[in-house]
Amino acid sequence: MSDADAVDLADTPAVLPGELGEVPGARDIRRYTTQAANARGGASLGSLLASVYYAVITIAIASGMALGFAQALRVSLPPTPESDAAVDLSLPTLVLVVLLGLVGILVSLAGRLGPVGAGGAEAAWWLVLPVDRRGLLRPAARRLPLVAAFVAAILVGLLDAGLLADSGARVLHVAVTSALVAAGIVLLAALAQSRGLRRSTTALVGDLILAAAPVVAVALALTDWSVHEVPTLPWFGAVAAALLVAGAGVLVDRRLGRIPTASLRESGSVATQAVGAAVSLDSRELGRALTDGAAAPTRRRLSRLRTARGPATALVTADLAVLRRSARHLVQLAIAAIVPVLVTVVPELASQAGVLFAVLLAGYVAMSATGEGARRAQMAPILDRLLPLDAKTVRRLRMVVPGIAMLVWSVVAFGAVGRWTGDVAGWLVLGVASTPVWAAAAVRSSYRPAPDWGGALVSTPMGALPTGVAAVLARGPDVVVLGLLPVWIAVLLRHVSPTMILIQAGLSAIAVTVASSIATGSLMERMLASQEEMDKQRKANR
Amino acid sequence: MSKPTVRAQDLLVGYGGAPVCAPVSFTLAPGRAVALVGANGSGKSTVLRAVIGLLEPTSGSLRVLGEPVDEREVAFRAQVASVLDDDAYFPALTVHEHLYLTARGHGVLGADALVRELLEEFGLAEHARSLPVALSSGQRRRLLLAAGFVRPRSLLVLDEPEQRLDRAMRDRLAARLVEEKKAGGAVLMATHDPDLVLAVADRAVHVADDVTRLLGPAEAATLISRENP
Repeated sequence: MSDADAVDLADTPAVLPGELGEVPGARDIRRYTTQAANARGGASLGSLLASVYYAVITIAIASGMALGFAQALRVSLPPTPESDAAVDLSLPTLVLVVLLGLVGILVSLAGRLGPVGAGGAEAAWWLVLPVDRRGLLRPAARRLPLVAAFVAAILVGLLDAGLLADSGARVLHVAVTSALVAAGIVLLAALAQSRGLRRSTTALVGDLILAAAPVVAVALALTDWSVHEVPTLPWFGAVAAALLVAGAGVLVDRRLGRIPTASLRESGSVATQAVGAAVSLDSRELGRALTDGAAAPTRRRLSRLRTARGPATALVTADLAVLRRSARHLVQLAIAAIVPVLVTVVPELASQAGVLFAVLLAGYVAMSATGEGARRAQMAPILDRLLPLDAKTVRRLRMVVPGIAMLVWSVVAFGAVGRWTGDVAGWLVLGVASTPVWAAAAVRSSYRPAPDWGGALVSTPMGALPTGVAAVLARGPDVVVLGLLPVWIAVLLRHVSPTMILIQAGLSAIAVTVASSIATGSLMERMLASQEEMDKQRKANR
Repeated sequence: MSKPTVRAQDLLVGYGGAPVCAPVSFTLAPGRAVALVGANGSGKSTVLRAVIGLLEPTSGSLRVLGEPVDEREVAFRAQVASVLDDDAYFPALTVHEHLYLTARGHGVLGADALVRELLEEFGLAEHARSLPVALSSGQRRRLLLAAGFVRPRSLLVLDEPEQRLDRAMRDRLAARLVEEKKAGGAVLMATHDPDLVLAVADRAVHVADDVTRLLGPAEAATLISRENP
């Protein structure tokens, strides 16, 4: 090869399919794609306005309902007592801790979703073009900070108005501060992404902040440190913060072209999968999108699986390995165990309703963390098919790991409730007796079929309710709600009796039987099918 | 001093610091073609991903058109075309519009006529106004290949281009790649097709776990035939 043959990046490409002119701008590329799509999709100004109208109405209704719920909760909370307990936490301090947890969630989500990404077609057809990528990525880069700011303003505003009953002006102040902080966090994550920081690292930082929140709460309770209101920036500070956020926005915009395609593709892929899962109300798929998409590409240490000595123990060992390797779910389990403890030490929240809500919610969150093995098996039942075990046995065995994990959770959570009522032993026994219900719910929700959008629609004031979807989503929560009735009653009465424990044990056995079932239809569908079968037999006998 | 289009020296690629194959060394000059051959999962596609900048090499040296690989550079994207197995399309854009977008996005004048010509060549003329969802798997593959030829390039990177193509289309593709070389373009491809290697490649690299070897086209074709009887 001679010097004359040599090419470098500055040269004209060696192979030209036609005469070359000026490369169009990124905005032209975007516009061409959008216009072609709009022309084919029949988009018009009217349809755009209708979409905006429905979005505004939906947000207004949802905010109104959330505000109503928060205010109802506030009314139901007892007034701040003159507490002389050794360990307690003020409500504003708890809200502050919740905000710290929300910051962790936001950082984690920003890392998992990019925050800047280009998925599917955009990655394949846009990112290969020799145009300034900033113009292509600008809308995607603006979307997440704006959404984060909007959601933070609404959410924290509602928390402040509902739980702390602050004045309108102060709620506005809190909402503005929250919006700025949220937008700033996402922009910082985008800057980190443009500087080559792994998305998994950002997500890990978020997870650690989230994990630190309950630890901080316990530390604050023990040191008796508290705040009387949610801290906000003074108005001039808010203006300065807004300028800083705007500056970060400009900086991110300038660095958009420095984000590697690999990172953009991964983020875009996760966002596409997550949005699809959210729109179709598929929480399992959402979890998979956010967990697998941000996993660091590292090789795992080979596990010897010494406890696998037969088909049954192999299955349990595999489930245990899945849970052990998922740091996010272990953190989720730990946080969920601390929530009831915290609620019982906050005087304003330590009411029957508050404790019941905390136990059910935290229990559900913890239970969701323990079903990872079953969820993965439902998606790809490779191990299940390789092992000589029938489907019912597989489901029963899949309850073992959630059962053990929830037993640990129950000891902490029910121990706290027992301390709150003054009968630790009784509550611990009730907690142990209720553990199988959680395990059953974990398996039942993991093995639920995909949402059925073809089912009948029921008209409600909020719009049409797809009953097929609701029936599928209820699989799991239904076991929790019905299977824990003795716990409900015990918390509301602040008392555990031997009868309650016996009934709870019976309900636990029923819950395990229901979760072991491999029938996919709802209870009503199964009853109808059974009726039809009986009718057929009757006719045949005649 | 002459600049090869691709120069890989002890290039180690992998995920999470764990290499997927032995270090790879090869040089690809303008007007030449190198084929990466090896068993499924041997690391051929991973090497290609490193060459087009989708993966940071674990170690070793890799230069494309005389520079370290940086796909964020506009000039890099203007010179390097790649056809991977990206089965992703704008759902509302037709076959013609996908190719037109690619051609115009690279500044090609008279893109409309060029697109029509390529649609004819790749057997997609009848589907010019079809949306990608209406295409068969093989037709979508041809659309991706056409997108690689509708734009200017000095290096064309192809990952198993023979996949989902019938015999006639494979032969046409081989002829196209020979023309590519004659025009001064460099071709780097991962393939399992011995005929494509014989028709197009000047050299081959056998990618494997233990050691990578440089082979002649005939030797590589024999190896492929032996691995895929």
